[in-house]
Amino acid sequence: MTRDSAAPEVRIRDLTVVYKTPAGELPAVSGVSLTLNPGTITGVVGESGSGKSTLALSLLNAVQPPGRIAAGSVEIDGLGDVLHLGGEDLRRTRGRKVGYVFQAAQSSLNPLKTIGKQLLDLGRSHDVDDLRALVADAKALLARMGLDGARVLDSHQHELSGGMRQRVGIMLALVLNAQVVVLDEPTTALDMITQATILRIIREVHEERALTTLVITHDVGAVAEVADDLAVMYGGRVVEHGPITEVLGTPRHPYTQGLIRAIPRLSGDISLARALPGRPPTLGTLPVAGCVFRERCDKRMEICETVEPETVTHDGRTVACHAVGRPAPVKRREYA
Amino acid sequence: MTKAVRDRPRGTALARRVTGHVVRGLVMIWVVATISFVIIREIPGDPVQGMYESLLQKGMSPDQAERATAVLYGFLPTGSLWDQYVGYMWSLLHFDLGRSLSTPGVAVTSLIGSAARWTVLPVLAGTLLSFLLGVIMGVYAAIKRSGKLGDLLALSGSLLHGIPVYVIGLLLTAIFTTLWPILPSGGPVDVAFVPGLNAGYIGSLIHHAVLPVVTYTLASYGGWILAMKSNVVAVLGDDFILAAELRGLKRGIVFRYLARNAILPLFTILALSIGMLFGGSIFIEEIFNYPGLGLLLVNSISTRDYALMGGTFLVITVGIVVANIVADLLYTAIDPRVRSGEAA
Ligand SMILES: Nc1ncnc2c1ncn2[C@@H]1O[C@H](COP(=O)(O)OP(=O)(O)OP(=O)(O)O)[C@@H](O)[C@H]1O
Ligand code: SF4
Ligand SMILES: [Mg+2]
Repeated sequence: MTRDSAAPEVRIRDLTVVYKTPAGELPAVSGVSLTLNPGTITGVVGESGSGKSTLALSLLNAVQPPGRIAAGSVEIDGLGDVLHLGGEDLRRTRGRKVGYVFQAAQSSLNPLKTIGKQLLDLGRSHDVDDLRALVADAKALLARMGLDGARVLDSHQHELSGGMRQRVGIMLALVLNAQVVVLDEPTTALDMITQATILRIIREVHEERALTTLVITHDVGAVAEVADDLAVMYGGRVVEHGPITEVLGTPRHPYTQGLIRAIPRLSGDISLARALPGRPPTLGTLPVAGCVFRERCDKRMEICETVEPETVTHDGRTVACHAVGRPAPVKRREYA
Repeated sequence: MTKAVRDRPRGTALARRVTGHVVRGLVMIWVVATISFVIIREIPGDPVQGMYESLLQKGMSPDQAERATAVLYGFLPTGSLWDQYVGYMWSLLHFDLGRSLSTPGVAVTSLIGSAARWTVLPVLAGTLLSFLLGVIMGVYAAIKRSGKLGDLLALSGSLLHGIPVYVIGLLLTAIFTTLWPILPSGGPVDVAFVPGLNAGYIGSLIHHAVLPVVTYTLASYGGWILAMKSNVVAVLGDDFILAAELRGLKRGIVFRYLARNAILPLFTILALSIGMLFGGSIFIEEIFNYPGLGLLLVNSISTRDYALMGGTFLVITVGIVVANIVADLLYTAIDPRVRSGEAA
């Protein structure tokens, strides 16, 4: 694992993001704290609506109205609190310091300009002196992802397939050598084999350049191959976070356990694969008090109705559940 | 694994598009020509027959009367309907629209030719002005749409869009020639000046053109601002604009992405708008006594000058068709999807 000192650490603290709805402002991300270790790939999984994209957008201070970051901080080494950046500082950070692959990467291109011209727009926006070298880098990245770079740069978006556009989106996020890269479902439009290839390339580039990377996905199986750490989101909370082998090997949160049971590839036996019961909550149906997962939890207890479980870190793993054994009580100062 | 970039022969798609337009345009012109033939020939109290008979009564020989009538209308009053139709079309192909009745002996083409410039220039000036104004204000109204100014702009658009063009014309006349008389109330130019490239004459031309041009501008400005505003709002919601911002593109570049994508659909409306303004020229030219095609058409109707009427109608049609083709070419020039034949 590359733990290069050049890679920045990303510290998300107590982040709350709310969306304005007819029922008032409702949180899509609630008090999330998450550290992306320098030089690692962190995978984020969770059902649709669990707040993954909202969390990812917060890393660029780019939550769109009717959404609003209500509280918290996102510290990136060398940049400070991104949530306090604005104007030109924020613009220069986006793209150059933090690369972002948009969830809808297939529609992330200007339909009226060739990819090459959009690449040059990107270079000029970030004062790249050597535009030739930028084009060469772009072609090399595209070639690695199995595309004919020269041809793609000469094309308009409508001349490319969805998968090709998605790879163009990844290229645009990597080509400026950003140190932090956020990929929101980067491989949804790709077939299984291409998907595996692209994730492998992301891993390679990540290691070569000593990046700190966040990969969001629906697919636990796919991310298991590339990520170092895994964060599991449910109802706007990170309910479990830790080294990916441990989280997948000995899941502690009932939701993580259910999620893994639902995947044949990971549970090992198709006949044992069991879909998670119930439906994912929406902003409106999320319980206001108590544990957000309790409606679907087989371990729920009385306390779960009223008290939201605290996030507890133990052995380098973070879990938020009343049923998970507490670490041995640490002696408090007043008793010492 | 690599899928080849889809290749499209760009030139042929463009050629096919333009050909399609030209063919449709020719069909439209042919239909209007036929209608104008039918009007001239088949209207109750057949003017051609009437002319022929009155010439006979005046003592002309049938031969002479026939030739005189043919010169006036561009076809022979006798013979089968089909022969007359073919004769009429044949003269049209030779740009012969017959002769005017109300201005006896003058070729319809030369009447139309001298009237056309009084319509085409103000219509084009009005269209371009309103397009520019509407587009700029539309972008502004979209970006400031949650503020007072944005609301006000959009409201001005809706109001103007709803007022018929002749009402705008009459209001402007009332204000600027009566209440606050700073502009001439009618005519194309002050007769006191010698026509030519002298300051006085050109100044007077411009002075007289102000009200018609402003009327054209106001008549279509509302449509532009509303259309542009809604396009900008729609494009603002498109993923690629957010993606461009997330890539840290300069504001100016993001704005160009936005503006170009929002303006594009307006080019099809541009064609329609020019066409509608030619139609609107009938009211405007009458109000301002401006000797363009619209006024010519109105006068030809009131004097039952059928050859002139049909000819004017035809020329206005040709103008609309040409405007359509030009707008389509513009559209093609800036939309790569159309250029490569994708979204035709
Ligand atoms: N513009 C918006 N207005 C109102 N609510 C929103 C908006 N965008 C997102 N939400 C809500 O916020 C919650 C989190 O959305 P988010 O897009 O972050 O989820 P996600 O985990 O990325 O889901 P997916 O896997 O479908 O991409 C969802 O309940 C969603 O309905
Ligand atoms: S806190 Fe209670 S309801 Fe929530 S996951 Fe743990 S046991 Fe289940
Ligand atoms: Mg998402």
